[in-house]
Amino acid sequence: MSGNPPRKVTGRSFLRLPSARVAIVVLLGIAVLTVFGSTLAPQNPLTINANALFQGPSAHHWLGTDYLGRDVLSRLMAGTRLSVLTALEAVGIGLILGVGPGIATVFLGRWFDFAANRLTDALMTLPYVFFAVAVTAALGNGLVQAMVPVGILLAPFFFRITRAATLEHSRAQYVEAAELMGASKLHVVRVHVLRKVLPTIAVTTASMTAAALLAVSFLTFLGIGVQPPAPTWGGVLSSDLDYLNQAPWAPFIPAALIAITIGALNALADAFRDRRGAGALAAQPDPIIATHSTLEPADDDRQSQVA
Amino acid sequence: MTIDNLKSPDLAAPGLPPTAGAAPDTVSRPAPGTSDLLSLDDLHISVHHGAATAIRGVSLGIRRGEIVGLVGESGSGKTLTCRAALGVLPAGCTIDHGSMTFAGHDLTTLSRRGWEEVHGSHMGAVFQDPASYLNPTITVGHQLAEVLRVKLGLSRRAAHQRSVELLSAVGLHQPEHVFHQIPAELSGGMLQRVMIAIAISCDPELLVADEATTALDVTIQAEIIDLLRRLRDERGLAVLFVSHDLAVVAELCDRVVVFYAGEVVESGPAAEIIERPRHPYTRALLEVASVGDFRRRELRVIAGQPPPVGADITGCRFAGRCPVAADACRTGPIAPVTVGDQHEVRCVRAQEAWSTGELAAR
Amino acid sequence: MTVIGLPHTASRANAAGALPPRRRRSRIVVARLGAGLAVLVPIVLLSSFIAYSLGALSNSDPAATILGQDAATPAAVARLNASLGLNHPLIVQYWNWLTQAVQGNLGRSYFTQIPVAQSIAQRLPVDLSIAVLAVILAVIIGGGAGTIAAVRRGGWFDRTVTAVCSAASTLPAFVVGIILVVLFAVTVHWLPANGYVGPSTSIPQWLEHIILPSLALSLAVSADIARQLRTSLVEVLEQNYIVGARVRGLPYRRILFRHALRNASGPALTILGNDFPLMLAGAVAAEAVFSLPGLGQLLLESAQTRDIPVVQGLLLVVSCFVIVVNLIVNTTLNWLYRTDDGIGA
Repeated sequence: MSGNPPRKVTGRSFLRLPSARVAIVVLLGIAVLTVFGSTLAPQNPLTINANALFQGPSAHHWLGTDYLGRDVLSRLMAGTRLSVLTALEAVGIGLILGVGPGIATVFLGRWFDFAANRLTDALMTLPYVFFAVAVTAALGNGLVQAMVPVGILLAPFFFRITRAATLEHSRAQYVEAAELMGASKLHVVRVHVLRKVLPTIAVTTASMTAAALLAVSFLTFLGIGVQPPAPTWGGVLSSDLDYLNQAPWAPFIPAALIAITIGALNALADAFRDRRGAGALAAQPDPIIATHSTLEPADDDRQSQVA
Repeated sequence: MTIDNLKSPDLAAPGLPPTAGAAPDTVSRPAPGTSDLLSLDDLHISVHHGAATAIRGVSLGIRRGEIVGLVGESGSGKTLTCRAALGVLPAGCTIDHGSMTFAGHDLTTLSRRGWEEVHGSHMGAVFQDPASYLNPTITVGHQLAEVLRVKLGLSRRAAHQRSVELLSAVGLHQPEHVFHQIPAELSGGMLQRVMIAIAISCDPELLVADEATTALDVTIQAEIIDLLRRLRDERGLAVLFVSHDLAVVAELCDRVVVFYAGEVVESGPAAEIIERPRHPYTRALLEVASVGDFRRRELRVIAGQPPPVGADITGCRFAGRCPVAADACRTGPIAPVTVGDQHEVRCVRAQEAWSTGELAAR
Repeated sequence: MTVIGLPHTASRANAAGALPPRRRRSRIVVARLGAGLAVLVPIVLLSSFIAYSLGALSNSDPAATILGQDAATPAAVARLNASLGLNHPLIVQYWNWLTQAVQGNLGRSYFTQIPVAQSIAQRLPVDLSIAVLAVILAVIIGGGAGTIAAVRRGGWFDRTVTAVCSAASTLPAFVVGIILVVLFAVTVHWLPANGYVGPSTSIPQWLEHIILPSLALSLAVSADIARQLRTSLVEVLEQNYIVGARVRGLPYRRILFRHALRNASGPALTILGNDFPLMLAGAVAAEAVFSLPGLGQLLLESAQTRDIPVVQGLLLVVSCFVIVVNLIVNTTLNWLYRTDDGIGA
């Protein structure tokens, strides 16, 4: 892309996007809830109140009550910790298993790369649900163990993206220069490549966290890892489903919470991505006459665009 | 009612086989003797959603069987005019004023259906970069046959056969083989011939050629020009030939229309314009192009730049660069003046005969 | 008027308008296919081994579970273990199981003694119906929305679709399913909220029961397809060859479908192809929300009861199915969109 030279990108520049700012705020809120959810909750998430079943939002219960009269807001706040932490667990596993090989594969020769790629192809298609549930069959009904296969199945994505980014940056001339000067491959990786690849990994991490969170929500929805009466996002959603006739509005609340969090993560990932490409995507000055379809002054340019 | 019946007998096509079948047309063929096939009158076109007026008061006409050349620099408006005549203006361009008629039918208010009929059956077009105007994933033969099947209702077999005939008629060797090639496998010259074949396949009366030879080798250029001339002679095809290459225009065209900065500054018979240009800009163009003068060694240029598109200039738009500009040139709009048979010039000094010396002094 | 097709003379362009086959391009496709097959076997072995060893990892003692607490005397347990083949080393057990599986015998449920293969075969049609219908819906909805959005670019439809697509991507399938249930089943009672009726029983009822789950499943994919198709189509519509087709006098609809969409649908089809195996996972989601008797429910039930053979069988079948489908889809896409410099898409 000709035209403006890439703007110098700083860490602050991506905060210009309004969506990124909203996303950060949302995620900070979630983070706070993860750590302090139970204490911040206005009421005890476990208190049953038989007189206040299926209530809609009110001053006392901001998000209403569930089928046992428990405050929905408190339940969701308290349930944040488990959902978020296990999602992060899966992402961590994926990161560790995927990023290392992703970088290494560029330097370890064609056969390794070919094999790793085919392995990745196959792994990426396996549905995590089956494996997660199967693990609980073997190792007991716990979310911690259920998220391990999720993490393993996230690794291929990390692998693929890291590999692409490494390929892109390892062919730069300064890398070649470094190698010529005698630097070992490891050094090259550590000093040059890693720094350039980190932003891409950050983007991927955000997206994968969204995916992991979705997985957690779904698994808890299915009943994995839920030790009633402890609340989880998916668990709340699931019980809401059982009582749809009494409270048809109820599932929208946890659904909205899940969707907002996932949306914030995706927006963050997009903001990261756009920030890196900000210079190239800067608006080109609009020509007076759109130069598509041989309108002058593109006469000479046309020739260079011959297919 | 076949298409052939409507052609005047002296324009029957001995060289190319008659087209079979006929598409019902709502635009009836003009009776022989009507003067203008395509007529643009006082056309004003604005671009970029009305931000600038790129074409101001352009009027021109083409008769049946006539080859008219549009010349001018890049940005002068000749391509935009063609596009308007073809009904394929880019997004954001509108015709603000003026009219276009084809065989007596108004084109400015033509519906999409109307255009679908006009295109191909009455007006064909070829452009500068033929490869980009063909679908890259489909063989050229299939694209040609498609037009025949859809517009003329030919069966698949008949369309195939006719396509091969057309490809041969435009000068392609091994037309059967070419039929099965995709655009990427053919050279520019061959592709341009294919484009011409497609454009004339339904026997239109007018062919619009927008810089059709600009991107080709000189030898191929000559062949294409020859082909166009042959088509005019054999089929009575009128050609609107847009080019910035005066040498080609001089050789091929019957009449020439010179564009500058969105206006027609001179128009008339080709021979006369080449030998006795009246507008300073035309004279300068001819000098630069050194038409007919291969021995000249110095590079001549026209000093200055054309005005930006849509710029509001009182008076002659060439005045800033004109070697003989006078105050009268800048006071108000310049109306075209007739200086000869069908020869019009938009210049207040057109009637004067300045010497070459005056121009050379600049 | 004319049938979709090409001159019936020996034109080598195929139905997708792809390039004439050149040896080199075909060779790449075949190489990838071979590689995929070569990896298929180890992957299936690996995942089945893991599946099998999960059973071994579990602390549960199947014999004790089957016999029940009281009857689980050491002697009875030992006898049952022997009959179940559980006293061999893991590898041997695994090999026996695998060889049996290849012949179609996946063992029997610990509890119901029903052959695992039978249970799976019984429930597979449910998921398949939903997945296939979901794909069809995704093509129709996503393709339609993307096309209209591109053709009327900048209009209200386009803006709405773009906004909806972004939102739809964040909604997991099961959430969408729940919303659909609320809207169409609980509030207005147009469609059933749960249950399943097989096509052999009654086709209209079958459709009634699977339309909501399929819709739930298809929306996320539709959004992806619509977004991609819109982008590709907008780009294609700006190309010169569309202008070229117009000046030839071809009718608008023909240009849109035969030229524009044909060239623009590549990336969108790739998305569809890649997402198709994911449909199976999504079908589990749909099952959960709509209480459908499919493989997902089977899995959940047998996981709860620690019915290991069923779990192992399911994992094996699902892994194989997904990998094979993926291979087929990828090979087809590679072949359709092969180009001179490798596999384009």
